[in-house]
Amino acid sequence: MTALAVQTTNLSKSYDNQSALDRVDLRVPEGSVYVMVGANGAGKSTTFKILMNLERPDSGNASVFGLDTGANGPEVRAHIGYVPEHYDAGYRWMTSARLLQHAEAFYPSWDSAYADRLVKSLDIRMDRKTGGLSKGEGRRLQLVMAMSHRPPLLLLDEPTEGLDPVARRQLLTLIAEHLADSPTTIVIATHHIHEVESLADHIAALNGGRLVAQMSRDELQKNVRRYELELPENWKAPAGLVATQTRTSPDGRDAQWTIIGDERDVAERLTSSGANVREAQPLAFEEAALALLSGERAQ
Amino acid sequence: MLVTLDNRDLRPLYLQIMDEIRRAIVVGKLKPEDPLPSVRDLASELAINPRTVSQAYQELEREEVVYVKRGQGTFVSPTMKKNSRERQNLARALAKRTLIEARRSGLDLQELIASLKEAAAEERQ
Repeated sequence: MTALAVQTTNLSKSYDNQSALDRVDLRVPEGSVYVMVGANGAGKSTTFKILMNLERPDSGNASVFGLDTGANGPEVRAHIGYVPEHYDAGYRWMTSARLLQHAEAFYPSWDSAYADRLVKSLDIRMDRKTGGLSKGEGRRLQLVMAMSHRPPLLLLDEPTEGLDPVARRQLLTLIAEHLADSPTTIVIATHHIHEVESLADHIAALNGGRLVAQMSRDELQKNVRRYELELPENWKAPAGLVATQTRTSPDGRDAQWTIIGDERDVAERLTSSGANVREAQPLAFEEAALALLSGERAQ
Repeated sequence: MLVTLDNRDLRPLYLQIMDEIRRAIVVGKLKPEDPLPSVRDLASELAINPRTVSQAYQELEREEVVYVKRGQGTFVSPTMKKNSRERQNLARALAKRTLIEARRSGLDLQELIASLKEAAAEERQ
């Protein structure tokens, strides 16, 4: 079994009686690029804040490299490069250069040559006051601060938000190189799946604070299929089947269902319900990930 | 470009990379004893996870298409000739994909072969 970089058990958190996280059990293997998808408010940012010990969970616990985040806040934070959802300049009077110097002082592992390279690659103007940065430039500066101390864990909340297509591609290239140079676990929260899909090797789907699914990219590829079906009259879907994107022809004889589950198992259940499975096709990564989010259990 | 990925291709990325390397060998872009790009360089060039590149290289090594020199990188196997079995493998993979497409369109093998020959003949004209 691979060691886990991040593990949460029964993690729950509410704000004003609104559940933000509901008994979430995350398992992020060390060295993976783990992409969390979900709508706004699904619980992605709350998860990050708890991992950073910026928020306390109502119940359950979270650990980073085996350290409980609540009990070891500073030590845990030293292991993490964090890009929060919103850019907050903090010291608005500082120039970008000054802010980076300030960050450097906190991290013994700060690699200034690497920081310089990132600054150049991401086209950051060092003489600008951080208070006046555009959203995209602020985001790029945050990425430099998160990556330059080469932490073993990066938590990136919507890292491509506000970046133009060129900067986005540049960022993905830098992350690919970063992974090759220093073994790192990366958790990315996003609702722009296609923008980070080339890096992803694990996927988690959060919906309304609940973890609907988490699996490796290979498992996703195997477990989400689009089935072409020939249906008997008055067909009823087998109970318990998790499906989405269900389309049926007007005469009710042909259907196309996206179904989540082991292909052989799903096909068996479909066949014993009287349906004829013509074909089971794999889906593109983003489509499959979205299917996890929208899958509903047949009654 | 040695390796080009197609984002409409539904196969796992590492399989696509494996096929692209095979193709480069078959068309002679890569010759026996040529080095493959380093994992880092290829991952950076394609902006993908280096693990995916490693996985592709490891599979190719298992199939003896490439071999690893410790500390020096990955190289095309000396036995890899343009006309070796890799040609067959490549043709077979293409045939499989084509067959799947044909079946989806309700075409049988005979129809497909006939159309292939016709299309080739038209091209020659």
